[in-house]
Amino acid sequence: MTVLLQLLFQGVGIGAVYALVALGFVLIYRATNVVNFAQGQFAVVGAYSMVVTTADLGLPYWLGILITLAVMAVFGALFNLGVYYPLRNRSFLPVVISTIGASIFITNIILGIYGPEPSMLAPMLDAPGISLGALFLDAQYLTIIAVTLALVALQYLFFEHTLLGKRMQAVSQDKEMASLLGIKVGWMIMLTFIYSAMLGGIAGILVAPILFVSVGLGGQIALKAFAATIIGGFGDVPGAIVGGIAIGVIETFGAYYISVPYKDAFAFIVLFAFLLLRPSGLFGEKVSQKA
Amino acid sequence: MRLGARSVVLAALLAGLAAAPVRAEDLKLGMVVPITGAAAESGRFAQWGAQLAADEVNAAGGVLGRKLVLAIEDDQTSNPGGVAAFNRLASDASIVAFLGSIRSTQTQAMDPDVRRVAKPVFFGGTDPELTRGGDPWLFRCRPNDAYSAKVIAAFGVNELKLKKWAVVFSTDAFGSNGHKHLVEELKADGAEVVTEQGYANQATDFTPVVLAIKGSPADVIGSYFTFEQDLGIFARQLRQLGVRTPWVGSPSIVATTALRLSGPALFGTYGVADFNADSSPEAHAFADAYKAAHKMAPDNFSSWTYDAVKLAARAINTAKSTDPKAVREAILAVRDYKGVEGTYDFDANGDGLHGYNIVKNDGGKVVFIKHIEFAP
Amino acid sequence: MSPRARILVYFVLAALVVGLASAVPLGEYMVKLLLQAASYAIAVLGLTVLLGYTGQISLAQAAFFGLGAYGVALGTTTLGLGFAPALALGLVVATLFGIALGMSTLKLGGHYLAMVTISFQQILTLVLTNWISVTGGPDGIRNIGRPHLPGIDFENNQTYLAACLVVLFAVGGLVAVLKSRRLGLAMQAVRDNELAAGVVGINTFRVKIIAFALSALLGGLGGGLFAGAFRYISPDQFAFDDSVVLLTMVLLGGVEAAIGAAIGAGLLILLPEWLRFLKQFYLAVYGAAVILIMVFLPAGIWGLFSRHRVWAPAAPVGPLELDIEAAAGTLLSVRGLAKHFGGVRAVDGVDLDIAQGSVHALIGPNGSGKTTLLNVLSGIYRPTAGSITLNTRPVAGLAPHVLAAAGIGRTFQNIRLFHSLSALDNVVIGAERPGSGISQRAAATARALAALGFVGMAERAGELAASLPYGHQRLVEIARALAGHPVLLLLDEPAAGLNLTEKQELVELLKRLRGHGLTILLIEHDMDLVEQVADRITVLNFGRHIADGSPAEVLRHPEVIAAYLGEVPSHEAA
Repeated sequence: MTVLLQLLFQGVGIGAVYALVALGFVLIYRATNVVNFAQGQFAVVGAYSMVVTTADLGLPYWLGILITLAVMAVFGALFNLGVYYPLRNRSFLPVVISTIGASIFITNIILGIYGPEPSMLAPMLDAPGISLGALFLDAQYLTIIAVTLALVALQYLFFEHTLLGKRMQAVSQDKEMASLLGIKVGWMIMLTFIYSAMLGGIAGILVAPILFVSVGLGGQIALKAFAATIIGGFGDVPGAIVGGIAIGVIETFGAYYISVPYKDAFAFIVLFAFLLLRPSGLFGEKVSQKA
Repeated sequence: MRLGARSVVLAALLAGLAAAPVRAEDLKLGMVVPITGAAAESGRFAQWGAQLAADEVNAAGGVLGRKLVLAIEDDQTSNPGGVAAFNRLASDASIVAFLGSIRSTQTQAMDPDVRRVAKPVFFGGTDPELTRGGDPWLFRCRPNDAYSAKVIAAFGVNELKLKKWAVVFSTDAFGSNGHKHLVEELKADGAEVVTEQGYANQATDFTPVVLAIKGSPADVIGSYFTFEQDLGIFARQLRQLGVRTPWVGSPSIVATTALRLSGPALFGTYGVADFNADSSPEAHAFADAYKAAHKMAPDNFSSWTYDAVKLAARAINTAKSTDPKAVREAILAVRDYKGVEGTYDFDANGDGLHGYNIVKNDGGKVVFIKHIEFAP
Repeated sequence: MSPRARILVYFVLAALVVGLASAVPLGEYMVKLLLQAASYAIAVLGLTVLLGYTGQISLAQAAFFGLGAYGVALGTTTLGLGFAPALALGLVVATLFGIALGMSTLKLGGHYLAMVTISFQQILTLVLTNWISVTGGPDGIRNIGRPHLPGIDFENNQTYLAACLVVLFAVGGLVAVLKSRRLGLAMQAVRDNELAAGVVGINTFRVKIIAFALSALLGGLGGGLFAGAFRYISPDQFAFDDSVVLLTMVLLGGVEAAIGAAIGAGLLILLPEWLRFLKQFYLAVYGAAVILIMVFLPAGIWGLFSRHRVWAPAAPVGPLELDIEAAAGTLLSVRGLAKHFGGVRAVDGVDLDIAQGSVHALIGPNGSGKTTLLNVLSGIYRPTAGSITLNTRPVAGLAPHVLAAAGIGRTFQNIRLFHSLSALDNVVIGAERPGSGISQRAAATARALAALGFVGMAERAGELAASLPYGHQRLVEIARALAGHPVLLLLDEPAAGLNLTEKQELVELLKRLRGHGLTILLIEHDMDLVEQVADRITVLNFGRHIADGSPAEVLRHPEVIAAYLGEVPSHEAA
């Protein structure tokens, strides 16, 4: 029973990380119809920003987070201008390749500047965690789960209950109609990239104390998050959250009960099954094209 | 610069045509290291070690009266990259010998080209098969995994008196070979392997592995980790979930990066180390010089290249020639040479070392316990 | 240059390059680079077929490359086979997996397909790494064999390189030729407009599977040669990153032409070598270069040099053979046809009889289910209920290409041409529909030209479909349907967007078609036009038919007037 609960906790914890990154995927996908293959690198940039501000410059943790969020906002804007905006009128493939190029670029710029040595980032809380009998709940994982839940709630409030949020939603649903209504589509997409980069940065801040900070950090998470996005139904926010957590739990249980070396395969096998049996995702409606 | 290059070409031509004596030029060693990619960090350490040795050789008068220089190529931390880098170096006929890779698969990938080029190549990969394939030009400057497994098993079973083993290993080439040998050695030493846990590199979570160990009757852990990040995550989760059994790990457990990343989670663990500063006066002197130059303690990434450069210089000086065959004979004839990795006695396969140090992580400091040596 | 001269030049060039590669001492380093570039280029040619011709994305080409490589590696070592049977083994396995991946395109496209291929790639990497008893695991396989032929020393790297180049030239030539063949045109039709491709008689699912199979085959072929070249392989050489590299190669070189594969592979193998002076930053420059290429070179490097050449047909245009055996009676009979989308009853129990040789108009307000009905008749939608009979044959629920083969041709309300092909190629694809009785390219071209001539577009046959003005695109689309020699032609608002002159020309065209006895079902808002050409009219509203009869009767029907009440009457309703 303890084993079961421990696996479940760990699965949900790592799944929450996938979910956070998946959320970034979903937002950009909804606004632009493009999958951003550099989403994982957003987390890397955020994690490095934390290392530079808190470890290298010795600033307090909260200030480091604020600076990192600002850095991510600028980064998201630059990413939009450099990688998406020039290609906005082209089909999805050139944009996808362009984001892959951006991912290679970001990775190697960081590698060039900071070198390949992994760095450490202190956890957000001082306490190591909570022990419940033989069960151990890592404080950082608890933080991750809490922050993910809070962000999902905030995001819901923002999109459903603010004018800006509604405008951004309108853009993601129908660009032409939105621009007819006087919404500045370009600006809304810009805001989406900024917000999505900040989300990625938060994922980086949260996960860095567990997985250490290195340029490989993003790649580990991004593909799983992408899989979560698909399982959740492309462009579906609750779906991405559930998808991410489902993948975390499935691979943790799969690793324990079936095979550790094939751990990374479980997410993809589940994904295969989903794509072939229910390509619309958990909550999705349709994927077929119209005549 | 241009003139210099031209004169080299001219000299080479003349040498080919008339076998005229060539003006003394720098003596070049080729070196294949990762400058980019996942292993770039260790690549820098490797260069530092080799350069330190080259500087010392030159300060002592060089090789055959010539200055020893390193020609470096990036292997991009990949097998094709390693092959390309080696071939790029090999196209320079003036290179006398090479330093290959610390990665076994890269060495395997280079093997056909090493045979073709037919010049001595020192390498640090620890897969025992590498020197058993009949390539006469490969010379290993680290003890191979058969010895690391022998030493882990011998120390754990004979010194710690622990017989129920959990074996954790990366499923890459290094880890799976180490795993295979360790299981064999443990059985030979009369111990029992109660659980074998492989994992894929760059894992995000080790809970399933830790729980499997926790649920087993294991009283000691033997491990082959490739990347320090993985080791760090595993170590922390192991301690968090309350596993306190003794742990004897492959060299990565005492690598500088692992100590930095893992902190207290690794306190009290044992590791086999091909390099330890306290294992010999030579190692101590090397560590001092390295620290003075780079403000950090050396590890095996730099110690083997240091030894390799020294061995190459010594062999060429002994052979009094740069002829590959003569140099090869001189390397194979090395007996009882005190390097920083250990004492070199090259066997017919080209393995220079046959033992390991056992060290302990004592509150974050690596303490030398003993050296265990086997007959070649 | 005539095609024959072009082939000759290609052979001379190939012989020259192969000769140089085997004779000129290149240095071992350069030989290894070229071996890598040549084997990669062959795999990239697979992507030219898959992505460039057929428009299907794959992020798993390195997996197929790996399957071919492991076939050769395991075949020549563990299994003790010769090089050729080992390669064949690898190719069979790669192709089978390619077909399996192609099957997934039945349901998936775009990002979903990308993810399926990524999943396949990841799982294969894990299997190659962990199935140690078979694949040797992460250690990989060494001492891989090369071919043995008497008199040729393949152990010499330059000889082997020459052999690889022979294969590359052969494959490259075949891929280039494929582009203008029937299969190649079908692939491009699927890429440009999958829906229209089905309607003109192309089995799109089959074409996509063939494309995946070919792509996997070429990936495997490249991998097999790679394994022989380097004699050592390990799983990390066939990972996701390598698939990205292969994809970048095809996009960089130019996705639409075979030569793009060679340019892309050559450049991306050499680029890192040239950028070495940047040390640790060279991969960053590489990443930035990828973005810049996407932004500034959408058609790749080859795209800078290739332009569509407009040409005028040289051959005299013959008359279009349209007449069909005149038989009295009903050609198409629809009973109780329904199509529901969830709760929406777009078509809800329609009966319809179309007489042989008549022009039958289908009218009704927007959203009355006309286009849905047409989509069901042409097989794009499966009906929820009801029967469709064409010449006594029940055809309800058949796939678009099957219906096209049965003789149903159609056009679309929003024009669906294959925009990157010439007008002529668009129509040739129509002429080559299964069941049209035409299999020779010359005959198909003649018929296509005749069809273009019939609609008055013969002189513009050599122009790119996308560059034609709107009205002309409509005519080309009609010609495409006519070239397939249909027994029934479905026209979805052919007058939409046309100016007055063009409309009048369209009326004349429709009258000429009626004169040839062709049966037409016409959706149109323009009542003026309908009155001029229609023999019978059926009126739909809310998915049901509310009136049926001659134009004079129907247009006076009270329910029809009620249905149109509030709508702008007659002409401008389009």
